[in-house]
Amino acid sequence: MLPARQRIGAYHTSVDGKLGRSLEQIYPVRHRLVGENFVQAMASAILEHGVSRSPGLGDYGAAFPAFLSTFRPVQSLAYLTDVARLEWLWHRAFNAPDQPRLNLEALARVPPEHWDRLVFRLPAGAALIASDYPIHRIWEINTIPTPSHDVIDLDQGGIRILVWGDGHSTRLDLPSETGWQLLQAFASGVPFGELCRQDFDHSGTTMAELLPVWVQCGWLRDFVLQEEVDP
Amino acid sequence: MIRGAGVVADSNIQGVGLGLRPPHYADILSSWPAIPWFEALSDNYLGGGLPLHHLTRIRERYPITLHGVGLSFGSVDPLNQAYLKRLNALVDRVEPSFVSDHLAWVSQGGRYFHELAPLPYTEEALEHVAERIQRVQDVLGRQILIENLSPYVRFAGSDYLEWEFLSELARRADCFLLLDVNNVFVNAFNHDFDPLAYLDALPAERVKELHLAGHEEEGSFLFDIHGRAVQDGVWALYRQALQRFEQVPALIEWDTDIPALEVLMTEAAKAEALRSGRPVP
Repeated sequence: MLPARQRIGAYHTSVDGKLGRSLEQIYPVRHRLVGENFVQAMASAILEHGVSRSPGLGDYGAAFPAFLSTFRPVQSLAYLTDVARLEWLWHRAFNAPDQPRLNLEALARVPPEHWDRLVFRLPAGAALIASDYPIHRIWEINTIPTPSHDVIDLDQGGIRILVWGDGHSTRLDLPSETGWQLLQAFASGVPFGELCRQDFDHSGTTMAELLPVWVQCGWLRDFVLQEEVDP
Repeated sequence: MIRGAGVVADSNIQGVGLGLRPPHYADILSSWPAIPWFEALSDNYLGGGLPLHHLTRIRERYPITLHGVGLSFGSVDPLNQAYLKRLNALVDRVEPSFVSDHLAWVSQGGRYFHELAPLPYTEEALEHVAERIQRVQDVLGRQILIENLSPYVRFAGSDYLEWEFLSELARRADCFLLLDVNNVFVNAFNHDFDPLAYLDALPAERVKELHLAGHEEEGSFLFDIHGRAVQDGVWALYRQALQRFEQVPALIEWDTDIPALEVLMTEAAKAEALRSGRPVP
């Protein structure tokens, strides 16, 4: 008969295994970058570091990027935290609810006197991420089926990415300078009237030119009217 | 019936189904294999996106059951209302034949440890779990199935044997049972009791589904890994279960180191042959 300590240990092993597999599925690029043994070590460490507040294993990895930023063994791999952040955001966008395109008929019915209070929304699960490293290239090379021998120059400069779900595919799009600032404003819930009073015109690209394109490509998916504020 | 679907599948399940796993989506959606039904892990589809899209497409052709691990019936934490709401929305969307979870607790103090932990089989636990099951059934608008574990530990001070606890739970909560035959086999081996006594004690009319899975043997102990083919001892116990629970559908459940779809279909074919009395392939 197995001693009690080993029986309890069986549960510990099972939990470690499940969490490790879950992290591997959510963070496959990290898995390829650091290897199986290191992944298991990190899974054990994060068990000590963080707790899971959701019944879903798919939600478990949310704290992993923050954990990586403090995990001493990977401090020399400065880009790894940003890669993990990108992987988590990709996972969230991949599992986000489906949404129809922006309802233009409903938008046309908004009276002009309320246009100032329009708040446009990005797709559910969409997120913005900026990094000092070319994390999109690292991600691309490590997610293609055929291993690549391309060398990535970590000093080639940073990147800004919109991660979002487009129908049944998940995309990493690289907005322009104007686009990045405008996307940040939309993500923060800045109402349309306030956006019009700000200067988003850079390199000859105006907000008026970007908005219809963004509606068509799906970057703007929904709108609400901001609650009126008593004067 | 699925609302708005072009092709709809009857929601009743019969025969031997397979656990639906992401590595098999492409094969299923391209070849539409001759499997009578699939069991989806609820927790994989509570968000949306491509996984839910695949499930919806599969549901158009096959009956589906939903099997979860997050309701934590044995916990003293309040029922997770957010999780229950998402589960209810999923049930509305895919209209499963059955919804099931486990006689277990997976959370304490709001912390989830993602392991199905056993509970003591006391009168207090029985009342507690029965009440929680009833509340979940009220929300979902249906009776659910509760699955037995293969606990590695037992608790001193239990008032019931496990099969007594399950039987009484099904009666008090007016719920059904999902009998994992592998778990009964592993449990009986590890705790030295007769698995047939377990089968004989359960109310046959409450058992609505069987699970078949593989375990791992390490010396004098069996570990429930659900990650290999069904072993001979489990097949033998399954034969006994078929006599006790006639025509109850069964599922090949494989959770780790998932093989090709053909391997699972071979297991299902064997189970179906045993079920129907035909020669085993």
